[in-house]
Amino acid sequence: MRVSTTQFYQQSALQMSNKTSDVNEQSAYLSSGKRVLTAKDDAVQYAALAGFKGDLANIEKYQRNITMAESQNSLQEVVFADVENLLDNIKQDMLLANNGRMSNDDLQALANQMKNSFEQVLDLSNSQNEKGEYIFSGYQTEQKPFSQQVDGSVNYSGDTGVNELQIAKNINLATNQHGDAAFLKVANNIGDFSASYTTNNSGVAVESANVSDRNTYNTSTIPHDYTFTFGPGSTELNVVDSGGANVYSTLAYVAGQNIAFDGVDVTLSGNPLPGDSFTISEEENISIFSTMNDAINWVERGVVQTNQEQHQVDYNTLLDQVNSVMNHISSQRADSGIRLQVLENQKSRHLDTELNLTTGRSNIEDLDFSKALAEFEQSKVALQASQQAFSKVQNLSLFNYI
Amino acid sequence: MTVSLYQTGVSGLLAAQQQLGTTGHNISNVNTDGYTRQRAEQSATEGLTTGPNYIGTGTYVDDITRIYDQFSYKEQLTNKSNLGNANALHNRLTQLDQMMSTSGNAVVASVDEFYKALNGIADDPNNAGLRSIFLTQAESLSSDFQALNDNFDKMKVSVNGEIEQVAQKISEISLELAKINETILQTQGLNQTGQPNDLLDKRDQLVSELGEYTQVNTLVDQNGVMSVMIGQGTTLVAGITPLTLEVKSGDPDPLKTQLALVGANSSVAINTSTLGGSLGANFEFRDEHLAQTRSEIDRLAMAISSTINDSQASGLDLNAKQGAMIFTDINTTALQQGRVSAPSTNSGNLDAQVLINDVSKIPTDEFEVRYDGVNYIMTNMTNGASETLGAPGTGPFTPSNPDYGFSFVENSGTPSTDDSFVIKPSHNSAAMMNMTLANGDAIAASTAVEVTASTHNVSDGQIDISNVSDPEAARIYNNVTNSGLTVDVFESAPGTFSYRVYNSATPPPAATIANGTYASGTSALVDLPPSPATAAFQIKISGDLVGSGTAARETFTIGDAFGVGNGNNVVAMAKTQEQGITNGNKETFSQSLAISTSKVGSKASNANLVADTAEAMFTQAFNRNQSTSGVNLDEEAANLLKFQQAYQAASQIISTANTIFDTILSAVR
Repeated sequence: MRVSTTQFYQQSALQMSNKTSDVNEQSAYLSSGKRVLTAKDDAVQYAALAGFKGDLANIEKYQRNITMAESQNSLQEVVFADVENLLDNIKQDMLLANNGRMSNDDLQALANQMKNSFEQVLDLSNSQNEKGEYIFSGYQTEQKPFSQQVDGSVNYSGDTGVNELQIAKNINLATNQHGDAAFLKVANNIGDFSASYTTNNSGVAVESANVSDRNTYNTSTIPHDYTFTFGPGSTELNVVDSGGANVYSTLAYVAGQNIAFDGVDVTLSGNPLPGDSFTISEEENISIFSTMNDAINWVERGVVQTNQEQHQVDYNTLLDQVNSVMNHISSQRADSGIRLQVLENQKSRHLDTELNLTTGRSNIEDLDFSKALAEFEQSKVALQASQQAFSKVQNLSLFNYI
Repeated sequence: MTVSLYQTGVSGLLAAQQQLGTTGHNISNVNTDGYTRQRAEQSATEGLTTGPNYIGTGTYVDDITRIYDQFSYKEQLTNKSNLGNANALHNRLTQLDQMMSTSGNAVVASVDEFYKALNGIADDPNNAGLRSIFLTQAESLSSDFQALNDNFDKMKVSVNGEIEQVAQKISEISLELAKINETILQTQGLNQTGQPNDLLDKRDQLVSELGEYTQVNTLVDQNGVMSVMIGQGTTLVAGITPLTLEVKSGDPDPLKTQLALVGANSSVAINTSTLGGSLGANFEFRDEHLAQTRSEIDRLAMAISSTINDSQASGLDLNAKQGAMIFTDINTTALQQGRVSAPSTNSGNLDAQVLINDVSKIPTDEFEVRYDGVNYIMTNMTNGASETLGAPGTGPFTPSNPDYGFSFVENSGTPSTDDSFVIKPSHNSAAMMNMTLANGDAIAASTAVEVTASTHNVSDGQIDISNVSDPEAARIYNNVTNSGLTVDVFESAPGTFSYRVYNSATPPPAATIANGTYASGTSALVDLPPSPATAAFQIKISGDLVGSGTAARETFTIGDAFGVGNGNNVVAMAKTQEQGITNGNKETFSQSLAISTSKVGSKASNANLVADTAEAMFTQAFNRNQSTSGVNLDEEAANLLKFQQAYQAASQIISTANTIFDTILSAVR
């Protein structure tokens, strides 16, 4: 084919310019270490790449939330552990106080020690985190949740708010326990009722009192106060509701039998004597503070000479309730522990996913250096060759010979 | 006889001179663009009859012609248009691709940072520092959107600038072509037999140049006068009459400029979509690719603003006030009105606007609403689907088939028959996206009310707050109007669950606030306060809430949730990062952006392929044309020697004739 001079120069220039552009492009890939610099480089995979990046960003978010949740839950765990120890002290003090050889002074000393523990528990219930926020006041983090009144009782001024953080796509985890659940809502050891004893000569005690049929219970007379009276028959028992109506009556009460009325099941311990009488009233939960107050009051009674059976019944009920409180705090502590475990699991799951995603991203985005270097060298050689060819050929002209 | 030998010699000498001249002309023009090599066509003169024989009398140059192949020239011209088109489109799309991959990535990064900051508040709702960081991030998100939008604007301006320049250039070429035609016509009149080669080259060169800008067709009449058509046959030069190309501002969008061919007393609009060449590419880029990407970005800005604002509005800020808008309201009057534009040709005075109802349904298409004298008819400009909206005065009109998530609202005035309105549903959303919150306290981190289940409940169902439209009112309704609300549910008949909502202080048998039933497997939505009052929030009752009997139902209490430490609304807000929202709840914000970017990327990479092909095609055509018409210096050098020798030989003829003449003279002396 006939080749014109212009054509030769233009072609050579075009070739060299194309090859220079190749070299330039490949050196851009090499210097960035990425094979996808703009969407144009791999439009098909670009959306997938963005997906990977988005997921990675989410994981970063979850990990940060996990760190926050961990620090908050560990703080609670530590507080509950301290409360557990203090409750254990109180329990020990109570066991000591029940020793008949204790003098009034000894008992007062124990009571003071228990008061000390009480103060510490109260203090712990008002714990603040590193930001100065009360950790047991629900949403009212600026509000000191527990405050002691003149009569020794403790008021809760937080709310029942529970904050959650997202720790995985579909998992939200609570970061706090509110004081209501942590310190106030301790299950009554007896069940749904508390007993107050009017006359107790035998040492009879309510072992359990539970609502078993709420539908019947809810339709019965309000308030749900039931008075138990033994006698005059030796095994006679009558239960009267707050309206004065007899809801249960037997002439042959057998010790330990189930007493059922108005959807409530009651069992008693001990062998009641005629004349014994007590009233049960609805109380599902007893706060830690009131249990501790009652325990302190019990010790402060000093050496009791009269009505020792009742004194012992009170002691047993209180000790059981202290155990119940300890169980409660342990389970609150376990809650925090379980959350910490969930967080730990999620964290490692996220690390695995992160690795997968990073690999996926890298497969799309990152440059295969050996391949890229080979291509770069190839383009470089091609450019060099075309430059040399041009400089050789452009010297050839017939005009050189005439 | 000798006299004729002189003449023969001289004729050879003259011919060789012309040959040398032509060769020299070729050599000198080796670098002239559009030059076609020329050749002096030499013929032998007619012989003289002497007796029975013809004796040759020498030579003459009968024509100097261009070595020109019309077919390969036209092929080159067509390919040049295609190349111009492909290159221009490739360059523009590459530019857009780079912009989307850099500015777009900046937006992705700010979306991430924005949510990171939001999530930070969820970690610690009462921290003023975190709140102010969030405001900064929101500010930077909106300014990144604006920056991207500014870049789109700049691109549009630059495209329009190029269109204007090219149009001017085409007009100049048109004038010049007409002038050349005129000169050619005049020289034709002088009874010249030869062709005005260099003038023709000049004309072809101008047409080539034109070919880069637009598709060109030419027609040469018997006088050698060329008519030039551009695009799909619109005459630019009719013989000696040039027309000029003028840029007119678009209607209704003045920046969507259009072209018109203007003559002495005519002006014809040109269909810009069939222009071809770089001009066609610029129009295609501006009106399709840039417009599409832009409306996707606008839609994204709108979706983010709307989602965050809605979420913010359902919570309470640190001062227990309903969360104020974080970003500019998507339905401000200015935005609503900006979405509708009316061409100046409308004769009615209807002023209309577009209200966005649901961002997830907003398409990126443009719409036209036309009044046909009876009804408004809306047409989707992308797929041509149309729907009758209804008669004027019965609005607002919400298209329902399909539901595009917006309503066409008449403001004032009435339309005349055949008035039309252009609707761009997401128009200006990125440009007008601003962070509007002044104070970090105003971030609505707290929820207003929450549901607590009674510990006596025995079954698995639940009650959720499904929607809060007015958190302040919800709180007042719950805490002040009522002493807290209680919801109880039980299985009133197998598979049927009855619920009651009542004031906690006055349980049934006092009057309830709301009650009803729902079937197993479904759920009940209850607006509170119930209609006819304006609902402040809504609860969703779901699950098999069996209960223990009529008197012992599953009970839930709705309580005040406001607190400075409550971050649950922000948690919900932060979750919108992972929710599919745009394009029919299918794409998350960053997905949406990635899809837009990858669309541009794939267009750019396609354009790259097309440009490479066009380049190859053009090179082939160019080579073919050059192999016929191009100057080869080696060839010319050889010709130079050849004609030099011919010149010398012809001189030798004269010298020989002279010697002969001298011989005769000396013989007779």
